Amino acid sequence: PAVTKENNCLNAAKACNLNDTCKKYRSAYISPCTSRVSTAEVCNKRKCHKALRQFFDKVPPKHSYGMLFCSCPPVDQLACTERRRQTIVPVCSYEDKEKPNCLSLQVSCKTNYICRSRLADFFTNCQPEPRSLSGCLKENYADCLLSYSGLIGTVMTPNYLRSSQISVSPWCDCSGSGNNKEECDKFVEFFTNNTCLRNAIQAFGNGTDLSVWQPMPPV
Amino acid sequence: SGGRSRSRGCVLKEIHLNVTDLDLGYHTKEELIFRYCSGSCNAPETTYDLILKNLTKNKKLGKERVKPQACCRPTAFDDNLSFLDDSLVYHTLTKHSAKKCGCV
Repeated sequence: PAVTKENNCLNAAKACNLNDTCKKYRSAYISPCTSRVSTAEVCNKRKCHKALRQFFDKVPPKHSYGMLFCSCPPVDQLACTERRRQTIVPVCSYEDKEKPNCLSLQVSCKTNYICRSRLADFFTNCQPEPRSLSGCLKENYADCLLSYSGLIGTVMTPNYLRSSQISVSPWCDCSGSGNNKEECDKFVEFFTNNTCLRNAIQAFGNGTDLSVWQPMPPV
Repeated sequence: SGGRSRSRGCVLKEIHLNVTDLDLGYHTKEELIFRYCSGSCNAPETTYDLILKNLTKNKKLGKERVKPQACCRPTAFDDNLSFLDDSLVYHTLTKHSAKKCGCV
């Protein structure tokens, strides 16, 4: 397809608000994610996460993925990528005062039933495989995108990083890893530098993988 | 007690607009479907309406200005609408669009 000046992320937001279901669940998470509860807290993070999980559970991928995985061509980069980064209302759902160590974050994820199972799904379905054409071990982009979006609304909530190419990460880093530095780096790279996930997001954004539009319902 | 059956003239209509068309002071390129209530409410809906109509006709209320007719207004509102503005700030509109109409 020809490179246009269209902002796909803006077009996806427009399409969402013209669809009654998408509009309803979009405002149902934006409200709690943008309502200040006290002088100390910008929002009720628990309510924001719950409403975000509902959004991805209830809204058809055509609309929810349309906003989350919209493609931003080199023209008009900033407006488009910034809008994409804002999809999950990062100031509430993502950012925190402290940036924990990723392995400690993984431990706290594993204490929660939803987070534990969704993180396991993500590691299974987005496993990279350099020898495969798709870049994935399981050659199913839809399953990878479903597992990735499933992490949104857990303590492992990932978001796009401000970088020239598609790179995502949960809100954590590997400082203070001690002897586990290597293990931590491996964990982070599964998010930040994962060919399978990157190809899956790009295939959806370019509309080159049609199977993604109607993924199998989660079992 | 004809209820809303007699208010057939009062119906829900919709129009596709830019958020900026609402003129509420937002700068954004996002859009929405705005639904509104339109039509007349000529037939008296309640005994109250009928009495008021009769009192006005018979000039029993003197010079007082009382509207003897019901108005076609929203009886329920649409779901909230959220959008991101050009400065990357989210806004949510509530009770901005009609869901059901009635002569009230």
